[in-house]
Amino acid sequence: MNFVRQNLFWIWVGFLGIVILVGLYATFLILTQGLVVTNLTDGSPWGLWIVLDLSCIGLSAGAFSLSAMTYLIGREQYQPLARIAVFIGILGYSGALMALALDIGRPDRFWHGWVYWNVHSMLWEVTMCITLYFSVLVLEVFPMVAELPFLAKYKWLHNLAHRVHRFAPVLAIIGLCLSLLHQSSLGGTYGVVIGRAFLFRATMPLLFIVSAVAAGMSFTIHMTLIVQWLGNRTLVPKAILLEVGQIAGLVLLVYLYMRFWDTTAGNYGYVPGKTEAFTDLSEGPFAVTFWAWEIVLGGVVAGFLLIRAYFRQNLTMLFIGCGLVLAGLVANRWHTTLLAFTQPLSENPPLTSPLVSEYTPAWTEWATTFAVLSILTLAFSLGMRYLPAFKGIEPHPLPPEVLPFPTSELKSPSSIG
Amino acid sequence: MSEFTRELDRREFLKLLLGLGVALAGGEWVRRNFVAHDDPAGEAAHSEVSPGGPYWAMVIDLQTCIGCERCAYACQATNDTASGHLWNIILRDEKTFDKPVYLPRPCMHCEHAPCVEVCPVNATYHREDGLVAMDYDRCIGCRYCMVACPYGVRVFNWEKNEDPNPQVPTWGVTEVTRRPRGVVEKCTFCAHRLDAAKERGLTPGYDPAATPACCVICPTEARRFGDLRDPNSPASRAIRGRQAIVLRSELGTNPRVFYLLPL
Repeated sequence: MNFVRQNLFWIWVGFLGIVILVGLYATFLILTQGLVVTNLTDGSPWGLWIVLDLSCIGLSAGAFSLSAMTYLIGREQYQPLARIAVFIGILGYSGALMALALDIGRPDRFWHGWVYWNVHSMLWEVTMCITLYFSVLVLEVFPMVAELPFLAKYKWLHNLAHRVHRFAPVLAIIGLCLSLLHQSSLGGTYGVVIGRAFLFRATMPLLFIVSAVAAGMSFTIHMTLIVQWLGNRTLVPKAILLEVGQIAGLVLLVYLYMRFWDTTAGNYGYVPGKTEAFTDLSEGPFAVTFWAWEIVLGGVVAGFLLIRAYFRQNLTMLFIGCGLVLAGLVANRWHTTLLAFTQPLSENPPLTSPLVSEYTPAWTEWATTFAVLSILTLAFSLGMRYLPAFKGIEPHPLPPEVLPFPTSELKSPSSIG
Repeated sequence: MSEFTRELDRREFLKLLLGLGVALAGGEWVRRNFVAHDDPAGEAAHSEVSPGGPYWAMVIDLQTCIGCERCAYACQATNDTASGHLWNIILRDEKTFDKPVYLPRPCMHCEHAPCVEVCPVNATYHREDGLVAMDYDRCIGCRYCMVACPYGVRVFNWEKNEDPNPQVPTWGVTEVTRRPRGVVEKCTFCAHRLDAAKERGLTPGYDPAATPACCVICPTEARRFGDLRDPNSPASRAIRGRQAIVLRSELGTNPRVFYLLPL
């Protein structure tokens, strides 16, 4: 038992490693045999990987929103949380890129988006923005990585990191612009699809970005609390967690308000494909998860808990609220993607299209999805354990020249994470 | 922490802006000089209706179509498509009219094609004559066009197709190469025949070698092809005096496939 307690972290790493290995085997099958080993079809060409992609990016929205608040609005007290958000962000975007690499039929042509431009395509815009924003995140995370003790002997790296960090406000501006573009245009990717009435809504970009901001901030708080509890240290002062949680709760309420009017005012009259989709969502096969996850728990209850936690100064309540928000976001992306392809393409004359399709992800899709999540979790665990930026709060932030820390100090405080 | 927010002075900020500007200008220069020229969608994208040239259209008579599916066989033979992923399928409708009708569904070659608008890499584009074509060497297989197509005409190469073509030689011979795994494909209106016709001086619609295989094989002449700007083309003559519809006209896609309502 003692062995388990002492090596809990490495047991955790080993578990993630097994999941990653299974996912790598599935990836091998996909790369050698093609996407035929998935359950995707001509009728439902997008599935679990797109949900993974949308969720990863949505939950990474904390990076740009907290950076903007820290460096542009001047709430510098949020900086410790913003650093965690940026670290989550780079992992989330890596996950999204991995999901896309799995999903496209010709991963060897991933670079075509940069060379052959179709400026009318939402997906082109998303491709450019995601890759550019990924570079911004790399620059934002670089100073944290350069603080690692074993890199301390490279003085030039240190100087470079310091220089890069001085551009934090500029990076925050670029990150804000890029994120405002692609977080919305991910919704736009669905919103412009004129042939599928359920998706063809001008509100999609707005709904996507507002929900992403709420869920991104909540996810950052959620992960911070997990690390704090498992690692038995304080990364972010309690007051700031509660304050940001309250902001996330308010943004979530704004989202619910927009969603309410989008659904009520947007559903007048009978629109083939759209009316059926909303019936499926509210009364049909998706009703339980829609009402429970998306609206009641992930929306109303979560918003209430986040705001209530601030007044009660209750971190447990905050933790639960944040968890519900991120579950709600994933449920929303899942419903949106799945519903789109289970509706018949209405035709005039109204023929029964053979392209209505049932879709449940194949094991290969689940295995690769969990592998991507495990890679991200592994990187997050290692980062939280070893990066000096997440060592815990000092009375005053250490100036860079005081570093490096002795390595032994970094390992001591935690049994896990 | 204020050191991070205050130390960037005006000079540095201007330098940064200048750097960004130079990078953007450089990127645009590279694009114009090296990318735009071999861009099949570039100029052609603006001439969806080919103002001066022919207006290719397919006219399908729901009155005479008997649902024999020979057009599907001929299409599979000619374009070497995979079984289960046909470019041309036949739908059956029992509710709309007094009698059951069969509705063959090729690519509509829309003037305002949603697939062309959404393709992130211009792999699907309007040819100069207005037909919607695919560049299989450019397609990355993201399948956004399949999400966007209002008619569900697009199919994906989920695996390498190594099966023998079941319709060859009974219903035709293969005229185009098989597409690689991982790209999207769809009906081309047998564009290879149209292009060859131009070189050989044949008239699409009349000459079988210059007409889409599905129209040539049709035993009841329910499918006719031709230039709608030529009043004597088979398509123009078939549509004259009949009630014609296009699918999902409310979307404003302006398909090039017209269906003649049953009499």
